[in-house]
Amino acid sequence: MSATAGASVIPGRFAGRHAIVTGAASGIGAAVAGRLVAEGAAVAGLDLDWAGRTHLPGVIRIAVDVRDPASVEGAVAAAVVALGGPPDTLVNAAGVYLVRSLLETTPEAWDDVQAINLRGPFLVSTAAVRAGMGPGVIVNLSSVAAYEGSSGEPSGAYNASKAGVSNLTRQMAAEWAGQGVRVVAVAPGVIDTPMLRMMDDPIAGLAYLDASVPLRRLGTAGEVAAVICFAASAEASYLTGTTIVVDGGLLAE
Amino acid sequence: MTARTGDDRPRVAVVTGAAAGLGEGVAARLAEDGWAVALLDINPAVEVTAARLAATNGLPGGRLVPMVVDVAEADAVGDALTAVLDAFGSLDLLVANAGIGGPSDDVVDIDVDAWDRVMAVNLRGAFLTARSAARAMRRQGSGVIVLLGSMFGQDPVAGGGAYSASKAGVEALGRSLALELAPDGIRVNTIAPGNMATGMHWEELRYRASRSGRTFEEEVAAARADVPLGRHGTGTDIGAVVAFLASDDASYITGQTISVNGGILRR
Repeated sequence: MSATAGASVIPGRFAGRHAIVTGAASGIGAAVAGRLVAEGAAVAGLDLDWAGRTHLPGVIRIAVDVRDPASVEGAVAAAVVALGGPPDTLVNAAGVYLVRSLLETTPEAWDDVQAINLRGPFLVSTAAVRAGMGPGVIVNLSSVAAYEGSSGEPSGAYNASKAGVSNLTRQMAAEWAGQGVRVVAVAPGVIDTPMLRMMDDPIAGLAYLDASVPLRRLGTAGEVAAVICFAASAEASYLTGTTIVVDGGLLAE
Repeated sequence: MTARTGDDRPRVAVVTGAAAGLGEGVAARLAEDGWAVALLDINPAVEVTAARLAATNGLPGGRLVPMVVDVAEADAVGDALTAVLDAFGSLDLLVANAGIGGPSDDVVDIDVDAWDRVMAVNLRGAFLTARSAARAMRRQGSGVIVLLGSMFGQDPVAGGGAYSASKAGVEALGRSLALELAPDGIRVNTIAPGNMATGMHWEELRYRASRSGRTFEEEVAAARADVPLGRHGTGTDIGAVVAFLASDDASYITGQTISVNGGILRR
């Protein structure tokens, strides 16, 4: 797969825009933050851990624990100050993956996945809207896992959290359309990111996944970032409350 | 959005149902982006549309080619696609947009000929144009196909069963095509519009007004109020999504339906 696939920068598309990206230190979040900067946006990157991240030029780094309301409140306030105004763009990319059968999933592990993947977007989005967002766009990260169950790679806590994100997207869209806030979810398929390496057997898993995708390859973080940036752009001004699936044809089968 | 590198030849698109409405909006966007476009329509007014878009964009002669074609006629579709390939040498994008609204009767009252005509234009037409386009794209090893579905294909309503079934069929057709053409590097997706500012929608609202006792203007206001974003969609909205799907930014999207409905469907 090409490292540049989907990475055709559109200069100035986000000029003058103020963006917050959670999970911006790695994976899809980093790809989105980088592309928004390249296309002219001021970007505040929120992440739990910025240690060791040196190659995201232009991204304002702010620490956050998306599970914690006080931390989220403080991080969004810091972002508003750093950006010079409330955000008009929010990408909720922070997330965690967990491969574990339901019978082996402890209540604590279940809660932590929901807290990061579902409570996180709820807390950050409401904080952004309270901080004065609107008009604007929120893009949430769902997943093809929102639509599927799987015995081969059981990830029930993750799947449920992502189904929740797609529904949360519909509800936010309904509640905030009146103030000019569009809300769209992007649901990636199997993307070559650090989260994928959380699989039990990455090497065997990657080969299997490659062969099971109709386009016969994994997606790249850049390709997902490209779709997120489209959803956040004026070109998508009539899209809200919907989920765009980016999966190389996985769900079509 | 993304220019093809390596030569100055414009990318080539076929848009069906291009004389007016969403198809015209799509053709206008592609013309603006520098594509060569064959505009197909059963309505000879497509010639006026093509001339107008060429003048608006200051395009050289022959860049926008109108063709009067009934997409339900297999031979006519095959001939048209052959003519496009002869004229431009390649086919990079098909937008199968031609469609009719059909009867608003309950299914038990639908005239069989009216049902057949809806299926012929909306579903058979998409099949015939996609098939011809896919054959050419397979030879090239590249291409993008966009089909026009509808929110009524995703979420059928009482009265409009023929249209809903035809558009649900289009979505299923798109998925089969996506799976079959993925190995050739050809992506296939469906766009599902909502309440759009087109003749087809105004016609439906006039019909509703004739039944409800409300005025046409009141029906328009009600249809607009149903949309969370508070406006009807336009051909410009659909053209923007087509431009995205045709670009490398959508390189990992295939077999999908993109809802472009201002939030009306909420899914």
